Amino acid sequence: MSPDRSDKIEVHDLHFAYGHTCALKALSFDIPDRQVTAFIGPSGCGKSTLLRCFNRMNDEIPGARVSHGSIHIGGVNINDRSVDVVKLRREVGMVFQKSNPFPRSIFDNVAFGLRLHGMRHSARLTQAVEEALESAALWDEVKDRLHDSALGLSGGQQQRLCIARSLAVKPRIILMDEPCSALDPIATAKVEDLIWTLKQQYTIIIVTHNMQQASRVADHTAFFHLGELVEFSPTLKLFSNPAHKLTEDYLRGTFG
Amino acid sequence: MSQHIFRDYDNAIRHLQEDLLTMATLTRQNLEQAMQALLRADTDLANTVIAADSDVDELERTVDQIGMEILVRFHPVASDLRLILASMKISTNLERISDHAVGIAKRARKINQGQPLQEVQWLEPLYAQAYGLLRDAMDSYTNHDPVLGQSLHAKDQELDRLHKQLTRTLSEQLETPDGRSTAWLHLIFVARSLERIGDLSVNIGEETVFLESAKDIRHEHRKPAVDTPPPTP
Repeated sequence: MSPDRSDKIEVHDLHFAYGHTCALKALSFDIPDRQVTAFIGPSGCGKSTLLRCFNRMNDEIPGARVSHGSIHIGGVNINDRSVDVVKLRREVGMVFQKSNPFPRSIFDNVAFGLRLHGMRHSARLTQAVEEALESAALWDEVKDRLHDSALGLSGGQQQRLCIARSLAVKPRIILMDEPCSALDPIATAKVEDLIWTLKQQYTIIIVTHNMQQASRVADHTAFFHLGELVEFSPTLKLFSNPAHKLTEDYLRGTFG
Repeated sequence: MSQHIFRDYDNAIRHLQEDLLTMATLTRQNLEQAMQALLRADTDLANTVIAADSDVDELERTVDQIGMEILVRFHPVASDLRLILASMKISTNLERISDHAVGIAKRARKINQGQPLQEVQWLEPLYAQAYGLLRDAMDSYTNHDPVLGQSLHAKDQELDRLHKQLTRTLSEQLETPDGRSTAWLHLIFVARSLERIGDLSVNIGEETVFLESAKDIRHEHRKPAVDTPPPTP
C-alpha cells in the first residue's frame, strides 16, 4: 500500500433513483481518506443507498441507477464503464448490519476472499489470515481454534471476523452499515475501538442510527434528510454547534 | 481508575487531567512568585507573574474544550461524568486564583515603587495558610482524597480569622496620618486576595469530594446541624 496514495472519495452532484423514485438528490461533498466518516439521518434518508453506491452494490437491484453526477475514488470515476466491479469491491470492502460468517471454519472465513482472488500458497494464506485477524483485534481470542466453526463465536467476535474477512483482501476503503446494531455495549466498544485503530490505514465510512456512536468514532459526520445532504461537518462541530436547524432538531430529538 | 475498552476515551481523559495538573502547577507558581515579589520587593518577579497568567488562561480554555469534547463524544456516566464536571469547575477556580496572584503581583509592583515597606511581612501568616489550602486542595484531587478535600473548610476558617485580624490592624494604620495610606490600602487588598484564594481552594476541595464520593457538600457549613432540636417557643 503506497503511503502517499489518496483514497479521497469525491461525490459530485450525485442523483440516484430506484426506478422513478429519486433516493439521492444533488449530493456534492468529499470524504477525506484515512479518517472515519459517519452517515446519520432518519430511516429512508438515503444514507445506506449512498454507502452502497461506493462499491456499486446497488448494481444488483433492478432499476436502481446513478441518474446524474459522479463518484470518484482516488481520482477514478467508479461508474465508468471501464471499471472492473469485482476489483472495485475488493478495494472497497463492506461490513453489514448483521454479522454474516459463512458456515465454515474461522480460518476459511478469512481465507475465502483471498482464495477467490487466486491465492493458493498455503504459507502466504496462513500469514495473510493471521495478519487480518490481528488487524481486527481478534487473533488473541481465536488463534487456538482457527479451525473451529465461525458460528461458534459470539456476536461481537463474528462481527470482528467479518471485518477481518474484509481486511484480508487489502481494501482501501471499508464501508460499515450499522455494524454494531446487533451487539451488546462491550462488543460495541471493542468494534468502535477497532474502527478507531483501523482509520490509520483505511478510509472508513459508517452508517449508524446510534448518534452517540457517530460522535465517538467519527472524525466527520454527514446528516441526511429525504435524500439530501443537510450538513457535513467535523463531528465535534456538528454535535456541539450544528450549522442547520434541521440537524439541531434531529440531534436534540425535537424533529417533527 | 480502570481502563475503557475504547482507548481514545482514556486518551481524552488523560489529556484533561494532565492539562489540569499543569494548570495547578502554574497557578501555585504564580502565587509563590507574586508573594515573593511582594515580600522581597522583586519587581522583575512581579512582571514574570503578570506575563505568565496568559498560560493559565489558555489552559483554562483547553480544559474546557477537552471537557466539552469528552461530553459530546463519549457521553460519560458515573465517576467519568463527575470527573469531567469536577475538572472543568476546578479549572475555573484555578484560573481565578491565578488572577488573584496577578492582582498581588501588580500591587507588589506599585508598592516596590515607593519606600521599602517592612510591614509587608505581616502578610506571611496569611499567605502560608492560603498557600497550604491551595496545596491541600490539589493534593486531595491528585490523591483521590475526599477526606482531605472535606477538611479544607476548617482551615479556611483559620484563614478568615487571620484575615480579619490583619485587616483590623491595617485599617488602624490607614487611620494614622503617616503618608503611607496608599501602601496600607494595597496590603488590605493583597490580604483580601489571599482570603479569596482560601475560598477558591475550598471550592476545589468540595469538587474533589463530589468527584470521589458523589456528595455535594457545597454550602453545607451554613446549614444548621441535622440533629439540632428546634427551638422551644
